[in-house]
Amino acid sequence: MSSSSQTALPVNRRLYRGVRGLVVVVLTGVIIAGFVGEIPQLDILEQSARNLYFHVPMWFSLMAATIVSAYHSAHYLRRGNRVRDLRAREAARIALIFGGLGIVTGMVWARFTWYEGTGVWWNFDPKQSMAAVLLLIYGGYFVLRDAIDAPEARGRIAAVYNLFAVVTMPFLLYILPRQMPSLHPGGEGSPAFSQTDLAPAMRWVFYPSVLAFLGLAWLLYTQRVRLSWLREGLAAPASSAPVDGEQDGEL
Amino acid sequence: MTIHPLRPSDAPTPRPVQERPDTASAYDSTWTEQPVAQAPEGLDRIMGQGGKIYVVLAVVLLIWIGLVTVLFRTDRKIDRLERRLDRHISEDE
Repeated sequence: MSSSSQTALPVNRRLYRGVRGLVVVVLTGVIIAGFVGEIPQLDILEQSARNLYFHVPMWFSLMAATIVSAYHSAHYLRRGNRVRDLRAREAARIALIFGGLGIVTGMVWARFTWYEGTGVWWNFDPKQSMAAVLLLIYGGYFVLRDAIDAPEARGRIAAVYNLFAVVTMPFLLYILPRQMPSLHPGGEGSPAFSQTDLAPAMRWVFYPSVLAFLGLAWLLYTQRVRLSWLREGLAAPASSAPVDGEQDGEL
Repeated sequence: MTIHPLRPSDAPTPRPVQERPDTASAYDSTWTEQPVAQAPEGLDRIMGQGGKIYVVLAVVLLIWIGLVTVLFRTDRKIDRLERRLDRHISEDE
């Protein structure tokens, strides 16, 4: 215990710094290339096609964060380690933040592109509506947490809710929207494996952008985990400080 | 300058139905008679290219640099707190 408390920090500092450096470099490059890089000339979309580099990674980050959150909730249910509860909570928070940004950027994009001149900000596009439902489900997670005072019961009940919430994610973001006509790609099959869906020049910006935003989400998540770990540790010092017996630096 | 108060009896003048896509050009205010200017030099030459997209890029990059600075400073603060808490724990044991 005494030796493990030295290494009980919720993050491997060297890993964190490495990811941080990569994210800063890659995202800076993505912003530059995203603005000045070559893109195909398309009607309606025109220059707004560049939004692909910034709007879509928000959703990848949300999906990753919800999965990470559910993973820690499952661990919390098995062992009852407080750190797992913290991690699940902070990952869900990051998911909400990125999802909110995704919704807002999508609204602005559609308003001035496909709905240009109509004044329509919200058109109940299936994917848009389902994404909003998903955000409400994750909002419910925090309402539920706030409604319970006892930490043990709160952690357990919230973890169970979280496991149900994550199951809805692929249905709401992938399966259901693709059964309906939508502005979003995917109705005709998976755009991920299509050779013609995305110009090769754009792939060189888009893929790094997705990875970099995932990294950024991880950095923000880790920051918040470290902060709440500190808060817990200060509240319950010494031997009862949260110690995760498993490997450090894990998601 | 004279001010013409709007009398309530005045019917509001209906806005002329504007035709697209000529609407935007009605508001054009670029200088038609260009003075014989020298070709822009240095920074002005670079920033003026491509419809001044580089100006937007510069603004976004400045915002990004600001956000990264916040990220790093917060990390440093957390690092310091973690070290302090770590020391507390090892002293207690």
